[in-house]
Amino acid sequence: MQSGNVVISGMGVISACGKNIRETLDTFASGRRNISKVTLFETKLKYPVFEVKGLSGSDGESMRTLELVFTAVKQALEDSGLEDKLNDFRIGVCLGTTVASQLNDTDFYNEYKNTGNASLRSVERYLKGNLAEAVQDKIGASGLACTVVNACSSGTDAIGVGLSWLRADLCDIVICGGADELNRVPLAGFGSLGAMSDSLCKPFDKERSGLNLGEGAGVIVIEKEEICRKRGKKTELFIKGYGLAADAYHLTAPRPDGTGLEAALARAMDEAGIKPSQAVFVNAHGTATPDNDLVEGKVLSRVFGMGLKFLSTKGYTGHTLGAAGGIEAVFTAVGLREGWIPQSAGFRKADDEIGISPVTQKTAISGQYAISTSLAFGGNNSAIVIAKG
Amino acid sequence: MNIAGMGVVFNRGRGVQSLEKALKEGWVPPGDSTYSVPADTLKDKSVLKEMRRADDFSKMACLAAYDAFTDSGLGNGVKSSLGIILTTAFGPHVTTFRFLDDILNYGDDNVSPTTFSHSVHNAAASYIAFMLGARGPTLTVTQFVYSFHQALIIAQAWLLERRCEYILVGSVDQCGTVMEYICRQKLHLAEDGKIKPFAFSQTPCAVPGEGSAFFLVTEGKTEKHYCSVLAQAVGTPDMYLLDSDGMVGDERCYLKIIKGGIPVTSYTPIFGSMLTVTSFSCAAGALMLKNQQSYAVPVQDNPHGLNLCRMQGSAAIKNISCVRYGCKNDRLEIFLKQ
Repeated sequence: MQSGNVVISGMGVISACGKNIRETLDTFASGRRNISKVTLFETKLKYPVFEVKGLSGSDGESMRTLELVFTAVKQALEDSGLEDKLNDFRIGVCLGTTVASQLNDTDFYNEYKNTGNASLRSVERYLKGNLAEAVQDKIGASGLACTVVNACSSGTDAIGVGLSWLRADLCDIVICGGADELNRVPLAGFGSLGAMSDSLCKPFDKERSGLNLGEGAGVIVIEKEEICRKRGKKTELFIKGYGLAADAYHLTAPRPDGTGLEAALARAMDEAGIKPSQAVFVNAHGTATPDNDLVEGKVLSRVFGMGLKFLSTKGYTGHTLGAAGGIEAVFTAVGLREGWIPQSAGFRKADDEIGISPVTQKTAISGQYAISTSLAFGGNNSAIVIAKG
Repeated sequence: MNIAGMGVVFNRGRGVQSLEKALKEGWVPPGDSTYSVPADTLKDKSVLKEMRRADDFSKMACLAAYDAFTDSGLGNGVKSSLGIILTTAFGPHVTTFRFLDDILNYGDDNVSPTTFSHSVHNAAASYIAFMLGARGPTLTVTQFVYSFHQALIIAQAWLLERRCEYILVGSVDQCGTVMEYICRQKLHLAEDGKIKPFAFSQTPCAVPGEGSAFFLVTEGKTEKHYCSVLAQAVGTPDMYLLDSDGMVGDERCYLKIIKGGIPVTSYTPIFGSMLTVTSFSCAAGALMLKNQQSYAVPVQDNPHGLNLCRMQGSAAIKNISCVRYGCKNDRLEIFLKQ
C-alpha cells in the first residue's frame, strides 16, 4: 500500500443553497432556506423540497443528475487546475448516486404496460446515465470508473473508494463525490415510509418531523500530495481517513445503539491518526427524521463529548440522497478552510433524549480536523476525516 | 487475493455442485426465452427465514453469498472482519417496476413502503449483512460492462488497507419481463436459445440470463482454496475464458486477444447473457483450477478455427484469463492462478 498524504485539490458543488461554493457561503451566512413546492414533475404530494432552480435545462436526452454532476465536476476541475492536464495522469472517477442508477421512468413503464411496445428513449437515457462512466466520457479520463450505490451514504463511500484507489496506487488522481436529482420515486417512497416533513425540516430539534428531499452534486478532486505539489498546485486540505461499517440490523431503521456509526467513526479517526478531541466540528448526516437524529446525536455525544460543535446542512439543501456525502464533504472542507460553519438550520428546541444540540448560529472554528458522517438505508454508516494543514 | 469459497445461483440450480454438474452436462435449451432462476431454487427456509419480505433479487444474492461463506468453511469467527461488496448492472429493477405499478395504479400517496425499500440497489447487500451478522464495510456498486472487475479491484484495495480480512464479493442481476422486452428490442436474441461465444459476430446473439455468484476472498491462507484472483492481466495464460455472450454488441474484437494455440473456452451458453456474467465465468475458471479439470465448451460452433476445449477431462492448468470486451473495443481481464 502507498503511504503519503492525499490532498483535496479541487471542489465543486451545486444544490438549492447555491450553484457554486461562493453562492453557498452567501446562503449559509444569511441563513436563507430556498424551499419550494415540487415543480420538476407532476405529483399529488405536497411535501416541500429543495430544488436547484435555473439549471440550463435538460435536452431530454440526458438525465438531470448528469447536468448536476457535470456542473460540480467542471467547478472541481477548474479549481484543481486540471482541465487541460487530464491526459497526463491516471484519473479515476468514483461517484455515488441513487436515482441515476434506477430505470424508473414512469412514462416508459406506463407505455410498456399499456401497449407492450414502448419507445426505448428513456432506456437509452438511462444506459448513458451511469454516473462514473458518463463523467469519464465527458472529460475523456481513461482510468478506473465506478458508481457507488450505497443509498444515502453513496457520496461519502465514493470518496472512500477513491481514497482506497490512491492508496493502492491504482490512480494518481480521483474525481469523487455524489449527485442525485429530485425524482418522483423517492418522493413517493420516502412519503410512504412516513419519513417526510410537511414543513421545513428541523434536524436534531425536539419537534423534528422528518426530512425534506433535495437535489444536487458535490465533487472533490483528490490526489497524492506529491503529484499535486509537482504540478504546482497549492492546497491546504487533506482527506485523512474513511470508515464504513454495517448495522446488520434493519433495511430502513438505524441500529438503536448506534454501534455501526461508532465503528465507522473509529475507523476513520484511526486512519487519520486522531483522537475525538481533535475534531473541531462534525457535519452530521442529520436528516431530521426522529430515528436518525436520535441515534446519530447519541453517538456524537458519546464519542466526542457534550462540547462538540456539530451541524446538519440538510436544513439548507434538503436530503440529497446519493449526493449528500459529496456535498457535505465539500461543505466540511470549506468550513475548515473558511474558519466558520453556519447555524444548523431548523434547530430551535433541544431534545433531551438526544442530549446534545447543534450550533445555533454562525460559529467560528479553528483547528485541523473535521468529520462528515453519512447514514444510509440498509444500515450503512460512513465517516470521513478532512484536515486543514 | 485467494478464493476460499464460492456460491452461485443460476438457471441450473444453486451451489458449487450444481455449477460443476452444469459444466459437465453442457448446454441445455432455456426453459422459455431466458435462462431464469427457477422459483424453487430460491426456497430455502433455513437460510431465508428472516427474509420473507425480500424480493428475488435479494434472495439470489443472499443464497449465493451464504453458500460462498459456508463453502469456505471459515465459520463465525471471521464475521467480525468480514466485508461485503456487491455489484450489479441493473439493480432490483423488477421491484422498481412493481413500485411504479403502485404509483400508476394507486397514486404517489398510496405506494408500498416495503416495495420502495427493496427497490434500492443496496437492499441485497444489507440483507446479506443482516443474514450473516456481518458488521464490516458493506458496499454496493454498479457499472454496465465491468461491474465485477470494479468490485474485485475494490476488494483488492480493501484487503491491502486491512479494512477487513475477508470479503464476500459478488454480483447479482435479474431478468424480468420488462428487461426481456428491452433485450428483445436492443439485442439480437438467439432463436435457437444458443449463445455462440466463438462466432465473434458483429451482431452476436444473446439469451438473457439472471443469477448471482459470490466469492469469499482473503489475502491469508485458508484450508479451502480454489485459486488466487487478480483484477488485471498478468502474463500469458494457459487458457482464455471468454465472456462473449451477445450483451455488449460487436464481438469481433475478441479475435484480437487470442494468441495462436492457447486453448479457449466460454461457458456463457450455460449461464445466459448478463452484464455481470464475468463473475460466473470466474466461478467456472476457479473450479477448473481447483479440480485441475477442463470442461468442454457447451456450444462448439467454431468458425474461426480456435483451439477450443472440446473435451472434459483432467488438465494441468496453472492460470486462466477471463476476458470481457466493452462497447468501445476496450477490454478488461481477470487473472485466475492456481
